[in-house]
This record gives sequence, C-alpha cells and structure tokens, in this order.
Amino acid sequence: MQMLKVENLVKSFDGKEILSGISLEVNKGEVVAVIGPSGSGKSTLLRCINLLEQIDQGRITVEGDIMVHREKGMGEAAITEEAVKKIRLRLGLVFQNFNLFPHFSVLRNITEAPIHVAGMNRKEAENMALELLEKMDLKEKAEAYPCQLSGGQCQRVAIARALAMKPDILFFDEPTSALDPELTVEVLKVIRKLAAEHMTMVVVTHEMNFAREVADRVIFMDKGQIIEQGSPQEIFSNPSNERTRTFLGNFKD
Amino acid sequence: MFGITGWTDTIRLSGLLYSGTLTTVKIFFLTLIFSLPLGLIVALGSSSKRKWISGPIKLYILIMRGTPLLLQIIFIYFAPFYMLPEGMKINLDRFIAAVIAFSLNYAAYFAEIFRGGIESISHGQYEAASVLGFTRTQTFLRIILPQVIKRILPPVSNEVITLLKDTALVQIIGISELLRVAQNEASRIFSIMPIFVAGLFYLLMNWVVTKVFHKAEKKLSYYK
Ligand SMILES: Nc1ncnc2c1ncn2[C@@H]1O[C@H](COP(=O)(O)OP(=O)(O)OP(=O)(O)O)[C@@H](O)[C@H]1O
Ligand SMILES: [Mg+2]
Repeated sequence: MQMLKVENLVKSFDGKEILSGISLEVNKGEVVAVIGPSGSGKSTLLRCINLLEQIDQGRITVEGDIMVHREKGMGEAAITEEAVKKIRLRLGLVFQNFNLFPHFSVLRNITEAPIHVAGMNRKEAENMALELLEKMDLKEKAEAYPCQLSGGQCQRVAIARALAMKPDILFFDEPTSALDPELTVEVLKVIRKLAAEHMTMVVVTHEMNFAREVADRVIFMDKGQIIEQGSPQEIFSNPSNERTRTFLGNFKD
Repeated sequence: MFGITGWTDTIRLSGLLYSGTLTTVKIFFLTLIFSLPLGLIVALGSSSKRKWISGPIKLYILIMRGTPLLLQIIFIYFAPFYMLPEGMKINLDRFIAAVIAFSLNYAAYFAEIFRGGIESISHGQYEAASVLGFTRTQTFLRIILPQVIKRILPPVSNEVITLLKDTALVQIIGISELLRVAQNEASRIFSIMPIFVAGLFYLLMNWVVTKVFHKAEKKLSYYK
C-alpha cells in the first residue's frame, strides 16, 4: 500500500531552484534512507513534505489523499485548510536538533499534543507517554526537563513525542548529526526497533552503515534531484551513477 | 536633627505620607494591569507582516519613547479640553489622565521588551509545534509565551522599578502622590525630614518589587 507519493516537487529559495522536480513514493512499512551531499536539498524535501515550506509546484499525496497540489498557471488546488491539517497529522518529523519544549517535562513534551491537538484525555495520554518512554529506554526520565538530558536522550524523547501522535509515516532529518558518536548508537538502536515493527520511515542520514543495514531502499540526492535509488545492496555495492560513486567514495575508510 | 518639633508633627506626617503612598501605589498597579497586556498586543502588532498594522504601532512606540513622559501626562490631561470643539469639551479626571498616560507610555516600553523576547525564541520551537499540529494560538500561548516570560523577567523588573519612581511625575497635574505630599509638608514645617521619609518609602516598595521578581525568576529557573 502506498503511504506517500510526491510528484514533480519544485521548490526555489530567492529564485534559486533547490528541488528540481522530485518524485518519490514510499510504501507502507518501508524504511527509506535519503543520502546525498550537503546542500543537495534533503532537508528542504522533508520540510516541504511536512508543510514547513510552501512548495512552488508539485503534488503530495498521503495514503491516497491529496495534501498539496500546485501547478504553474493553475495555482493551488482547492483543499480546505481543515483537510490539509488532518492529513498532515499523519506525518511526523524528528529534527536534527530535537526542538524539544524546554519548559515542559519530558512527559509533558510527549503528552501536550495528544491532549491539546488530538483531544486525548490526560490519563490516557500519560500512560501512552510512559509506554513510549519505556520503549525508548527512558522511563526514569519522565519527570526530568530537557536541559537535564544528554543529546541522545533528548533525541529519543523527540522521537517519542512524534510517535505519540501516531503518525503513519515518520520522517527523520539527520537525527544523529548533532550527537557524539557514543550517543548516536542509542538513537539508531531506537530507529532500528521501529523498523523491526514495520514503522514507515524516511530517514535523511549521513550514517552509511545504518542506511545499508536498516533501509529497504536508499535514495541518493544531488543538486535538488534524485539521482539514483535502489536497494542498499545496489546503491552501496554497485551504484550505476558516477555522482553516487564519487559521493560514496568519500565515506570509504 | 531634621527639625521635627514634636509628636503631633510626626503623626500628621505619617497620615499624609500614607495617603500619598496610597495614590502612588494605585497608579503603579493600575498602570501595570493595563500596560502589560497592552504591551503584549502592541508587541504582536509591531511585528505584524501587515504594514497598516505595524506602521501605526511603530509610530506610536516612537512617540511614546521619544517624548518625555511628563509631557505626555500634561498632554493627555489637557488635550480633551483644549482640542475638542466648543460644547464637547471634557474635563478629564486627573487620576484617570495619569493612569492613561502611564499605561500608554509603559505599554510601549513593555512592547519592545516583549518583542525582543519573542524574537529570541528559536524558529525550531514554532516548527516543532506546527508539525505536532498545534494551532498558531496554541503555539503562542503554550509554547512561546511561557519561554518569553522567563527571558524578559529581568528587563521587565527594571521597567517596573522605574515605573514606581516615575509615579512622582503625576504631581505636575496636581495629584497628591507620595513625593508631592512630602514636599508640601517639608515646606510647611521647614524640615527635610518628610522628603527623607518619602525616600525610604520608595526604597521599601522597590525592595518588595525586587523580591517579587527574584522569586519569580527563581520559580522559573527549573529549566534553561
Ligand atoms: N530558508 C531558506 N532560504 C534560502 N535558502 C535556503 C533555505 N533553506 C535551505 N536553503 C538552501 O537550499 C539548499 C539546500 O539546503 P538543504 O538544507 O535542503 O540541504 P541538505 O541536503 O539538507 O544539506 P545538509 O546535508 O547540509 O543538511 C542550500 O543551498 C541552502 O542554502
Ligand atoms: Mg539537512
């Protein structure tokens, strides 16, 4: 079943085209790793899909429901704001630098949206949050504040916070780039766990070993385009494109 | 040593200073009650993308901060009388005029503090909230504002301390606040004592203000 379909997405900043017609599909339960050099537009792609940036052109469909549709000349498709909001709630995004709410405890970081956006009752939300924290190996930190946590712990709370809204697809933008190597491990472990549960995920990452091991499919982006995609096997062992080879060459040690 | 002559003077002075202090404190609190929320609205308006909102509000801030508060008090007190056409002239109550002038003036200062505080919150907070589905109002009230309050407490406490002392300016339109009362009494009994005591009163009140803000800062120090 198709969870996400992006068609011909175009996005420019200040007249400079950053995404030049990206098309991509993600199926249910699939883990897609997005790799590519710095500035290739990986973050911009995730931000567009999660409606943090307005796209110039293209169509984004979530589980068959059109969330955004803009074409040159035609302008924006008439989709009510209410409908867009509902569809967007099926997407979750985990940021590189966590963006936890510093004034809320760990527990409240997780329960705030389920309670005030999804309308869940407090008790229920807290139980769910504690379960998620258990899964993240952080149960004892429920009452702590983000400033009392390590980066790795913060990122795991951020993942729990996103999961609490029960998204159908979870996006990660370099979830470990802000972390020391030893803290990277614990975050990747959690993402592996989610993959094993067949959570649909799109992970932008510089961790090639992780991509190779966890992803069902790897997408290589450069200069705002998808250059190549395929199984980790295909991309890492036998890339067909020259640019992919050059990029991956930088990671060989 | 201050030339106080006897008990009667002391008792009389206490009563006078008490009534003066009451006026001072009333203006102080009323100004806070009106200028803090107004300041927040002004702050939001001044950073609005709509020019017809932000333009006039920026002009208002410029005028309030660019002209003497003393002048504003006089202006607001006399303007309804001198500027309205014959037959519609209003004699504004002194006390009301003072509170209006102070509220408008302090709202401008608070607005600039709020604006700085709001702008200091990282964009990531808005993005995280938006991805989780919070509305703009929820985001502001639940996520942004609490963090802003923590950051602006120190500059706000400075402003509040200044406000308490500035209340002495209302004597220009004939309001008998603490300092005015003390001055009158000083010239009546040829003594500097009432001025000195009035000073102690201001100091005591601002000591309380300082304490309150320290308490608030401490209460919010549970996170960074
Ligand atoms: N808000 C913005 N305004 C202007 N330019 C932007 C904006 N956001 C991104 N860009 C530009 O878009 C290009 C792609 O940026 P993006 O962050 O998507 O790259 P990336 O692939 O995620 O890189 P990295 O691996 O360094 O995170 C960059 O040249 C960047 O400068
Ligand atoms: Mg990026």
